[in-house]
Amino acid sequence: MQKHSLVFLFGFALWSLSAGVGAVTTPPASAKVDLGEAEPFCNSGVPPEWRKAQVLEGVAIQESRVCDPDNPAEIAAFVKGTNNISMQTLMDTKLAADALTMTNDMDGDGDPDHIIIKLETMELNGHSPDFPGVVPTFDIAPGIQPGFWVFAPKTRDMSTTSFATVQANSLLRLPSPPIRVEQGDVVWLVVENSHYFPHSIHLHGVDHPFMDHGGEGNDGVGQTSQMDIMPGQSKTYVIRPRHAGTMYYHCHVQPHTHIPMGLAGMFIVEENRPNNWVQTFNIGAGQVRHPSVAVKEKYSQEYDLHYQSIDKELHKMIQSANDPRLIAKAMNQEYDITDADDDYFVLNGRSFPYTLRESLIVVDPNEKVKLRVLSGHTEAMGLHTHGHKATETHYDGVEQNPGAQITRDVFTLLPAQRLDLELNTTNDGLHSYGPGIWMFHDHVEKAFTTDGMGEGGSISLIVYKSFLDENGTPKTHGMDLKPYFTKKYWERKIPVWQDWADDWGSLGEPAAPAVAPGKTATPAEVSSSSPWGRLFTGFLLGLFGYFLYLNRERLKALSAQLVSQLKSKK
Amino acid sequence: MAKFVYLFALALFWASFVSFAEEKVVEHSMLMDHGDGHLMDMEGGMVMGQNKDKLPGGCDKISEDTQITVRAGHKYSKKFPGTMFAFDEQEWRFKPCARLTINFINEDHVRHQWMMHGLPKYIYDKGMFHLEVTGPAKISGTLILPKEDKTYLVHCDIAQHMEKGMKGQLIVGKGSGFFPSIPGVTDLAIPDNYGPQQAATMPSAETQPPTESFLSGSLIIGLVIGLFGAPALIRIAQDRFKGMTAKEVMAYVLTLARELVNALARFIAWLYRLATRQNKLLPKK
Repeated sequence: MQKHSLVFLFGFALWSLSAGVGAVTTPPASAKVDLGEAEPFCNSGVPPEWRKAQVLEGVAIQESRVCDPDNPAEIAAFVKGTNNISMQTLMDTKLAADALTMTNDMDGDGDPDHIIIKLETMELNGHSPDFPGVVPTFDIAPGIQPGFWVFAPKTRDMSTTSFATVQANSLLRLPSPPIRVEQGDVVWLVVENSHYFPHSIHLHGVDHPFMDHGGEGNDGVGQTSQMDIMPGQSKTYVIRPRHAGTMYYHCHVQPHTHIPMGLAGMFIVEENRPNNWVQTFNIGAGQVRHPSVAVKEKYSQEYDLHYQSIDKELHKMIQSANDPRLIAKAMNQEYDITDADDDYFVLNGRSFPYTLRESLIVVDPNEKVKLRVLSGHTEAMGLHTHGHKATETHYDGVEQNPGAQITRDVFTLLPAQRLDLELNTTNDGLHSYGPGIWMFHDHVEKAFTTDGMGEGGSISLIVYKSFLDENGTPKTHGMDLKPYFTKKYWERKIPVWQDWADDWGSLGEPAAPAVAPGKTATPAEVSSSSPWGRLFTGFLLGLFGYFLYLNRERLKALSAQLVSQLKSKK
Repeated sequence: MAKFVYLFALALFWASFVSFAEEKVVEHSMLMDHGDGHLMDMEGGMVMGQNKDKLPGGCDKISEDTQITVRAGHKYSKKFPGTMFAFDEQEWRFKPCARLTINFINEDHVRHQWMMHGLPKYIYDKGMFHLEVTGPAKISGTLILPKEDKTYLVHCDIAQHMEKGMKGQLIVGKGSGFFPSIPGVTDLAIPDNYGPQQAATMPSAETQPPTESFLSGSLIIGLVIGLFGAPALIRIAQDRFKGMTAKEVMAYVLTLARELVNALARFIAWLYRLATRQNKLLPKK
């Protein structure tokens, strides 16, 4: 404040002089803030054929009308196993050849019953000691790159899409992928811990023995079951789930930070049916393009919805040092989750508007759609569907008595809870109010912001096909969504309403007040310079003073002359 | 009951498999050739950019046939505090046009890679030579090094493996500089802060420099120097410029200023070299 005191004094003096004149002070006009660069709605660059319904490797793959659909080759690999597909299909994926092995039809019903699933632990938006950015990158919204850890299907080759970019390849992303197995399958879940911290898997809600037959702990809890999986080590969890339902898996090492960091995903046990090849992974969650036999009996489509909340301070820690010891200290000893607040809210790993590229629920009228919802939030959430009332069919993977099932439009989920919903698109004024573009979002207010900037967070849409173009862009009828696709918007630099009220921007940003006239600005500049600058200024003033002293006689004479002239005029 | 017996057998099989795998390094030698030097097997072993006979431009013949064995794993990070994964060696030197076989042994139970970048793209797809295998296992590949003196980045591209220590450089001939952040060879380009107030947790609460009044200490010192130094300065200037024309004085002052600027530039360059401790910096990945 001090450095403005001179400005203030001058300004006050000028103002008091002008007070008598009675001039009107007009507030500044609106200044238009430039949006900067806006991404197009859809820049996934995927081949349009990927969106079509198709059969690949004998696997029926449903249509996916969104901007960024799943790669059909990967879906085929997830349904058949990397051991049962052609080399060409395998090469069209980024999967390791041993990522998913499906063999042995033990009960002779036409599908494999011994499933070996290999997972790796991966870091996204991590630190680099070589340059200031993060690597490999995964943006939840334009320019927003919190650090994450995820379980990922075992991949091959580079982590990035190519040597030229730092962008993570499409299999390395938030959330950790939903995993599907069939009831009664013998599943070996192999975790290869390629991360620099210890991790584990706890199969929350999934039927699993406490110890496996080899005598090893199988519960993933370091304190009670088995030592954590150390960096560079691997561990196989052996299960044969007897009960079907929407379950959960997550790391149980320092879980108060490792779950929020992203080491958590849905684990779905599908009901046993003949010839039931289930889609083992659903990358990025969202639409299941090859639903199981049991799901198809009742529903035309199936979606996985995984909600997560992010405290940006926690997720910055892995980016602020390279030494694993420093990161461990920050996360384990310094971070205090009891003082923490969540800043970002994501659905299937993205915040609005990126959710619109991949997590739309695309429907026709008169459909029944199965939604499996997991709350990975650190606090309670209340999921609300616009234009629809859906029915709660299963809680935590257990079916509710059909006569007692509740139909409503806000669904409560506490952390780690799962809820199966039946979304009925019959236009009957109860289940659906008819075709349109209907939002669905967590109704906890902060959850539809991104670090407090609205509308962001985990908002997505139920879109009827008549409101969707070929490339998966919803035909919205409201405002231009462009500002949401700029980095500046999320940096809080764009007045939200600047273009909307009228063309002179009556709700824009007032222009910065004009700089005070030259005289008053000068002292401010001087006082803001560095110590060396001030030394130099002092030196110049000193020289000036000396010259004044040298010429004092002449100055005296001059001033005397001036005074006398003034006097004579009077 | 029958199911139970089956499960038991399965478990036994698994247990034996695991206990054997612990000891034995699996050798991946039965690879399927996918063309263009890309070989792969179903256990995740992979070679990319294999080249046993295509001579790079400028090489008349293979200068020498040579082999190295590189081991990779967590345990090799032991001698480098602040890392988690490493190769057993960080630097390799070869003659131009040498035919090099790398025997890569991964001693961890996760994937590791020995990936080399910057090779000529007309022979090596994406300019890359790449070995990948899940340990404990061994995989081998061969390539012919180009003629030019150059330093190649060698790393494991699995997220955070290079950053946490699995990084090296392969120098052909005299090389072309050094890469940063190679354990035991070069410093981190962005060093970590080990001070008592560890930066990782500090929210960006930057302390504002205290606002100083116009009449600061340094200004007063300058004032005093100016006031009392002026007579002396004038005397010196009078001595030096005695008998010179205004033009000559101007030229003299300008030369002085130029020399001052040059000295400043040299000083900054020296500081930069001191900070990076490198003669030459290669572009980072």
